Amino acid sequence: MKSGPGRAEPADTQSKAERHLEVAGVTKRFGSTVVLQDLSIAVGSSEFVSLLGPSGCGKTTLLRLIAGLLVPELGTISVGGRDLTRVAAHRRNIGVVFQNYALFPHLTVAENVAFGLKAQRVAKPEIEQRVREALALVRMESFGDRSVLALSGGQQQRIAVARAIVVKPSLLLLDEPFSALDRKLRETMQIELRHLLRELGITSIFVTHDQDEALVMSDRIAVMNEGRIEHLASPSEVYSRPRTLYVMEFVGQSTRIAGRVAASDRGTIAVDTPYGQISAAGSFAPNTNVVVGVRPEAILSGENADAGFNTIRAKLFDVVYFGPKTNLLFEAKAPADHLLMEIARLPQALTAGRDVALRWRIEDTMVFPAP
Amino acid sequence: MTTIATKSMATHAKERRTRFDSKALLALPGLLFMTVAFAVPVILLIIESFAGPQGPTLDGYRKVLADNYYVGIIWNSIKLALITTIATLLIGYPAAFALARARGVLQVVLFALIFLPLTVSIIVKTFGISIMMGRGGIINWLLINLGFIERPMRLVFTEFNLYFGMINVFLPFMILPLYSSMRMLDTRLADAAASLGAGPLYAFTRVTLPLTMPGVIAGVSLVFSITVASYVTPSLLIGDRFMTMSQVMAKAYLNIRDFQLGASMAVVMLVIASIIVVAASYLARAPKEGR
Repeated sequence: MKSGPGRAEPADTQSKAERHLEVAGVTKRFGSTVVLQDLSIAVGSSEFVSLLGPSGCGKTTLLRLIAGLLVPELGTISVGGRDLTRVAAHRRNIGVVFQNYALFPHLTVAENVAFGLKAQRVAKPEIEQRVREALALVRMESFGDRSVLALSGGQQQRIAVARAIVVKPSLLLLDEPFSALDRKLRETMQIELRHLLRELGITSIFVTHDQDEALVMSDRIAVMNEGRIEHLASPSEVYSRPRTLYVMEFVGQSTRIAGRVAASDRGTIAVDTPYGQISAAGSFAPNTNVVVGVRPEAILSGENADAGFNTIRAKLFDVVYFGPKTNLLFEAKAPADHLLMEIARLPQALTAGRDVALRWRIEDTMVFPAP
Repeated sequence: MTTIATKSMATHAKERRTRFDSKALLALPGLLFMTVAFAVPVILLIIESFAGPQGPTLDGYRKVLADNYYVGIIWNSIKLALITTIATLLIGYPAAFALARARGVLQVVLFALIFLPLTVSIIVKTFGISIMMGRGGIINWLLINLGFIERPMRLVFTEFNLYFGMINVFLPFMILPLYSSMRMLDTRLADAAASLGAGPLYAFTRVTLPLTMPGVIAGVSLVFSITVASYVTPSLLIGDRFMTMSQVMAKAYLNIRDFQLGASMAVVMLVIASIIVVAASYLARAPKEGR
């Protein structure tokens, strides 16, 4: 399941269990706007995959296509080897937790959870038992008779999850389920939901625009941009070895410096920048315009003669205190550059206006072609 | 914990009650106007319906409720109101749904199609329908050219003509309340139902219909109470061949000057309309109380 550095393995080398959900070559247009362009993704059984991207990147459209609430112009969608592309939503057995939960306001908590079982004509005693079990799973046993309108946001979310999993879906889709919750509650619910879904072993696709959420929850993250998947890999892979400049900028914070390749030799390049020369692994031809990226927590301050490090000089202009960490912003010499380092504690000697030496390991240096 | 919760809820309820009192004052102008314009005339009407030459009498009601002629007329009005209400509901429900889901230009066009007729006087509309239904009218022309009939048939002043016109005139009154209840309906509820395995019919009967029921009830009580009392449209479309309660009242007051007959008929009509409105409001409220 783990893919090689920066590269997802082609779908056909994966075993069947690892292709529980298979989206192949899907294209979706709304009028003349292409929302998804020849998109493919395979998700393994019991896997939790996030679709991460800004609004308008097509992630919710992909979710609705998988749910059967939209039909693609091209491509196929199959679950467990069964082609579902033209199958109606209510015959797919794919659960959905909607953004604002879409609980039925005229029904009680228990009636909401029982809805799918009743629709599928499950026997009454079994319905009662399964509703009780589902409510117990989300720790809402005592709320069965309440109106869903009387519940808090977190409780509503739990009921939405219980309602979706009680029918034993072959796949669970979650559309930004935390966006209506406040920050503290959101963090608690993320961990809770992750544990629950892992325990039940439900294959889940999770749509979010929040990178932290995606990093916390997922086995793998698909970073989406303009209807395409730019990078599909584990959270640590996506964060530390982003495949494109877009992925690096979208996931986490970064220091970005534009430069030009001065020399290239056996997989190592030297990049000229206004702050000094930077070395990195890469195979760009000399004179190529590139962008060098470093994660802010990989940057240290102070000179060091160690050959394994890049060192540049920049002028500190702002110190932003966050509590557990402090961000240091440095003066950029080109408008597209962004110089940021992150430290746990601010040394007293570092004050705005100081000229500081910044260094980081060569292996932590990322290089992308300039946009 | 529980005691605190109960206590705070009680305080909350009390606060709400006092605040509601001051807001109720806002209804005062409307209340005053309705007292003068509606309650007083109705009370006078009720008094008149019992007033005989030698003190109080039930003669008016005896005439209206025992004479087969008048009972038939009451039934005519109820039948007219029922058929119009049911037909406008069946036609109006999907139309309101389409209107609530339509976007952009389509929505504007649909809106215009449904509500522009409201700006045209009922008299103009009913005369238009009479022209269309005439022997040389477009309906007869169509039926002849399609080969259904050989000679023009009589359509004007028939019950068909009446119902056609009634549905036309009162359809917007059904669509409007239905539309507003459908506008408030979250489209994702239908998606949620589908994702839980509910087919379109099940999702409609268990989700869409119950949630739009307030609109159905408002539309039904509105259309029923105005059609049971309708006067102009039936008079113009069918005339004396199909007498309604309103026509009897008008005749009683204007032609035969039997004020007691008119007043008794008016009270009967008021009771019928009130029963429908009260029953509908009760139905609208009942499910919420059950929760």
